[in-house]
Amino acid sequence: MPPRPTSDMADPHTLGGAVLAHAARRPTAPALLWRDATVTYAELAEAARTADLPDGGGDTGGVAVLRAEKSPRTIARILACLLAGRPALLLSTDLGEVTRELLTERVRTAPPPDGTALLLTTSGSTGVPKLVPLGGGAVDRFTEWAVTAFGIEPGTRVLNYAPLNFDLCLLDIWATLRAGGTAVLVDPDRAVTPRYLLDLLAATEPEVVQAVPMFFRLLAEAAPEGTEFESPRHVLLTGDHAPPRVRAALPRLFPKAAYHNVYGCTETNDSFLHTADATEVAGREVLPLGRPLPGVRTRIEDGELLVATPFQTSGYLHEDGPGERFADGWFRTGDLVSRGEDGALVLVGRTDFQVKVRGVRVNVEEVERVLLEHDGVAEAAVVALPDPEAGQRLHAVVHRHPGRLGGLELRKHCSERLTRAAVPSAFRITDEPLPLTSTGKVNRNRIKEDLRNPRKGNE
Amino acid sequence: MISTASSKAIREFIVTTYAPDVSVEELDPSYDLLDNGLVDSLGLLQLISWIGDRYDIDIDDVEIAPDDFRSVNAIGAFIEKSKNGGLVQ
Repeated sequence: MPPRPTSDMADPHTLGGAVLAHAARRPTAPALLWRDATVTYAELAEAARTADLPDGGGDTGGVAVLRAEKSPRTIARILACLLAGRPALLLSTDLGEVTRELLTERVRTAPPPDGTALLLTTSGSTGVPKLVPLGGGAVDRFTEWAVTAFGIEPGTRVLNYAPLNFDLCLLDIWATLRAGGTAVLVDPDRAVTPRYLLDLLAATEPEVVQAVPMFFRLLAEAAPEGTEFESPRHVLLTGDHAPPRVRAALPRLFPKAAYHNVYGCTETNDSFLHTADATEVAGREVLPLGRPLPGVRTRIEDGELLVATPFQTSGYLHEDGPGERFADGWFRTGDLVSRGEDGALVLVGRTDFQVKVRGVRVNVEEVERVLLEHDGVAEAAVVALPDPEAGQRLHAVVHRHPGRLGGLELRKHCSERLTRAAVPSAFRITDEPLPLTSTGKVNRNRIKEDLRNPRKGNE
Repeated sequence: MISTASSKAIREFIVTTYAPDVSVEELDPSYDLLDNGLVDSLGLLQLISWIGDRYDIDIDDVEIAPDDFRSVNAIGAFIEKSKNGGLVQ
């Protein structure tokens, strides 16, 4: 039997210890709201004390491999790991068995560094996710920051939308528990049911709401005229660009909130924060990144944003290559930034989407955005294909709205808005929807394949 | 004025070479080929060389400005000028 934690042996300055301290001081205070049940701090602490952790033994270097199914039980198991000083590997419930086993195997062959509290995975759209070990100190520093930044106190209700294996939970679940607040867990089975989300907000009255743009889009589209939630003081937009149309609905839905654009990633956790009022969140075309969080250092190299945060990982576990995204404590975000006219830093795209055409750096996402500004364009994808003369040439594939939109009109449209090298040299205009990825984005890779190997009859 | 047949041949070449997605009829003779990115700097050299061959103009002998190739109309005018006002076949 491994030793079980008790409240008198846990340091209250650590995340796990803080949760136990709340359980001792205010045992009946609600820690989690889940479906129709309330889990008190005493119940959570008891569940952690009696949690069945996978053996791990010497086999996985003490790492507890946990399936991150959202439930109070899983949260209790993670808490048990934190208290026992065992790293918890949180695997998405979406991962296939093969990937799960592969990641477990990787932990066996490359144990995480000493002091690792959590092992998260990157959400890479291709290949096997990378393992991101987060140290206990990093987790403590981040949760401490979040508690202060959003005024989370005993009794504060915070909405958790993300799955348990997402770094976002360090804010909406773990910072909340650190402060003695109540995490309102959105049921993943109903996470895209707008009626459920509206009812949950009305019933639980969270003061802090953090979610990806999709959550806010669902609300904005489904909320009956006049719906407003007065409880949120802080609304955090994260994970992706929130389109202006979605943001425009926020002041109506959350009239009493400050709106925060939060920028971060699994490797470094949050690094920038921009706080906007109702006018700005609803009216500004693009929200800026804002200011670095306390202790965060930033640098821009060739347009790419580099950050170093007090919350970051020491590097990927079992990295095949040299781990080129980390250097001297800096993390290459892969995000391209530029300064707007007012000096504010904004995201402009991913380095993955940056190509060179005749020696000129071009961002294909930007070209796509310009194409989409044309009224006749429903969807657009721009890819670079090798060309013997130009090095690379841009090919645009455009799904047009019903009408007669042609390549000449689009070339003119692009030329008026982009540098010459960024104007695609080849256009394919179709009346068919473009292929999408599983996450609903235009599938550039498929389109590239199709352009490279045109099927017979398609030429 | 350049003959309709020539104008069609020029438009065909431009469309086939630089914009296969566009039909010959779509290409307006006044459409700006350069500003709109249809013909880039490499493309311009290729276009000039094609015109030289097709219309038997010694490109090295005549003065050339990019503006002469800005549109199908401009190309037509250039050919006329270079042929000393002669009939273009």
